[in-house]
Amino acid sequence: MTKLRIVLYVAWLIVPGSLLAQTDPGVRGGAINGQAGATATGPLPLASVSGGQPQGVLQFFENGLARFQEVETVGNSANVGLGPRFNMNQCSACHAQPAVGGSGAATNPQFAAIANGIVDGSTNSMPSFITAHGPTREARFPFFTNSSGTPITSSPNGGVETIFTVSGLAGAAGCTLAQPAFALAIANNNIIYRIPTPVFGAGLVENLDDSTLLANQAAQAGNTFGIAGTFNHSGNDGTIARFGWKAQNKSLLMFAGEAYNVEMGITNELFPNERPLPGEDLAAGLAAGCLNLAGVGYPEDATNFEVTPSSNQATQNAQVPGDIVMFAEFMRLSMPPLPATSSGPGGASAFTAGQSLFKTIGCAACHTPTINSTQASAVTASLSKAAVNAFSDFEIHDMGTGLADNVAQGSAGGNQFRTAPLWGAGQRIFFLHDGRTTNLLTAIRAHASSGSEANDVIENFNELTAAQQQDILDFLRSL
Amino acid sequence: MSGAASGARVPEHTILVKGAWPSASDSGTPLPEDGRWAGGSYQNDYFGLTLRFSARWQAGLEGPPPSDSGAYTLAQIVPAERFRAGKAGHLLITAQDIFFTATRANSPLELVNFTSEHLDRSVYRVEEAPRQTLLGQRPFVRFGYQSAVAAMHWTILATEIRCHIIEFVFVSTRPQSMADLLQSMDSITLPAAAPEHDGTDGAAQPLCIRDYASAEHLLERVEPVLTEPHLNSIPVRIIIDAQGEIRHIHLLRAFADQARAITDALRQWRFKPYVMDGRPVEVETGIVFGLRARAPASSGS
Repeated sequence: MTKLRIVLYVAWLIVPGSLLAQTDPGVRGGAINGQAGATATGPLPLASVSGGQPQGVLQFFENGLARFQEVETVGNSANVGLGPRFNMNQCSACHAQPAVGGSGAATNPQFAAIANGIVDGSTNSMPSFITAHGPTREARFPFFTNSSGTPITSSPNGGVETIFTVSGLAGAAGCTLAQPAFALAIANNNIIYRIPTPVFGAGLVENLDDSTLLANQAAQAGNTFGIAGTFNHSGNDGTIARFGWKAQNKSLLMFAGEAYNVEMGITNELFPNERPLPGEDLAAGLAAGCLNLAGVGYPEDATNFEVTPSSNQATQNAQVPGDIVMFAEFMRLSMPPLPATSSGPGGASAFTAGQSLFKTIGCAACHTPTINSTQASAVTASLSKAAVNAFSDFEIHDMGTGLADNVAQGSAGGNQFRTAPLWGAGQRIFFLHDGRTTNLLTAIRAHASSGSEANDVIENFNELTAAQQQDILDFLRSL
Repeated sequence: MSGAASGARVPEHTILVKGAWPSASDSGTPLPEDGRWAGGSYQNDYFGLTLRFSARWQAGLEGPPPSDSGAYTLAQIVPAERFRAGKAGHLLITAQDIFFTATRANSPLELVNFTSEHLDRSVYRVEEAPRQTLLGQRPFVRFGYQSAVAAMHWTILATEIRCHIIEFVFVSTRPQSMADLLQSMDSITLPAAAPEHDGTDGAAQPLCIRDYASAEHLLERVEPVLTEPHLNSIPVRIIIDAQGEIRHIHLLRAFADQARAITDALRQWRFKPYVMDGRPVEVETGIVFGLRARAPASSGS
């Protein structure tokens, strides 16, 4: 046998096996969010919003979308208030994939923050967990540390350790702030990460009454997979909270207000004070030189009592609310991602088979494909009595030692996470709360670890043939 | 929350920041979640249950803590490493505390019926309708269903012990594997006495009675002062000794501050001794503190 023949023979032996092995088909191409007409900077609104029901609602969506993409600065521009600490300067920088409002993009804009002048490289350095093509992230330290930086596990922290400071930027001359000690935290295994959650279709989720979520939970109570989740609740009114990785946020307004303050350092009508790092407020708080850098007073984002007169009343009306209200409107009025039922990887047959397998092995016990239905909406018709195809029960579940991040939020402990909605999963790049993988198969298998509710489901997944597992992967990439 | 660990790295893959979590007033009384795998057997002292397996099987991953609706994952039994490639199926052993169930099911038959009625018929087909059967001397409910698309079969055997519904959920894609798994049930050791909702399960077990912590039976009741609004439901099992004092408290799921407050309060409770056949006996019952459980779903009976 010649050398070439040997090579071909070995290749013949290997290739069929490779073809049979299940693989994540990767980010689905085609229409953004499965919506004809959507663009990377122009995600679509709900149908009734497009139709102008009620009159003026479309202008609110468009205004919210525009503000979502505004670049914020420390001062001296139209959009001020950035910092004194921040993770990025624009909502859409982090919520970018596959369109404005999504999750992290393939190229992490945080990594270019110094090069692009968003951050001063003489006062800030790039932490090792922010890489050019890695996930867009925020960081949290699960535990406070002693004066040497050693974690004290009896003293939980969990707050966001904002990555960058405004020190060295124009308008921040008197503000000298150091970044958190990320390298030490990494060395001590005292750091966890979170990636942005997509916000498409969020108005439908917001408009689910508690009774609907509880009925869905009750219907799953007799499942034979060992799954029994619970809900996180709002500390303000006691109702079920549903946004964020641990379902810690009650409403889209709360979600927007918190992010504006925590991720961008912009005070607003929900969070009107500058935010020191966790623990900093136990001492003296932020130095005077780091306060009111924008020179506009507080909150830096507020209702606009004076707006530019417009011949279009709706356009003028949409200028009045503060940014967080309009961010919430953009999220509330956005159309959810639509599945590619026939044009996804594997085609219609894989979609159908994968969907059935997804239900059969128990994925749907948490990732509820459809919750029927939203309550009547006072906002717009598409939010009324609508099915929510989010593939989530919005419960928090014990996810085991493999995913636990030792961060408590509301009633959710360090091992509990909200069932991540899967609508739009087909065009997401990074998976799991910390974006540790771009591979759906890895993400699925990470659901199994000591103490996880999903262990039996993953055991069922492992029972499937490679072709059946492939159908599930294809199905998920069709969402 | 664990104690201080200054001077050390945070340990990998360890849950230190716990939300609502199980705890008990003493370490000597067996708990439902304390079953263990040893020497090829699954043993659970709380339920008086032992199940032996051949060398083809081993313990799978540990399950989650008990839920706030009284659901336990007791054990997962999977093929031993050298048999993993054969897709031989697996066994999940669960328990549902009848006192806290979200299904309103009061018996194995009712719970299995609930499961049957809520099966998604678009993907499952019932192979064996729920029926009563005997395993050894103990009544069980048997139920089977399958999925054509996954070529997967489920067989469920359910029985009641100490007011818990124990389910053995066998899963396999191969009939022979299912038969092998089911054969392991021949080795099961269970409490001797017949189960009843308000009866005994073996002479050494307390009598389990629903809603026993009522004014009718209580001599003294001190309410716990829960200062933090965690907005959670806190299921608690207690064992009352023959003199009417609480000798054991098991909080299925409570935050640490709640566990302390509830334990402190319960230690002050006094019950009238429960008399059966002319002599006082121990009683086990359940109480829910905190956020009250939602209205249960419709019964599957």
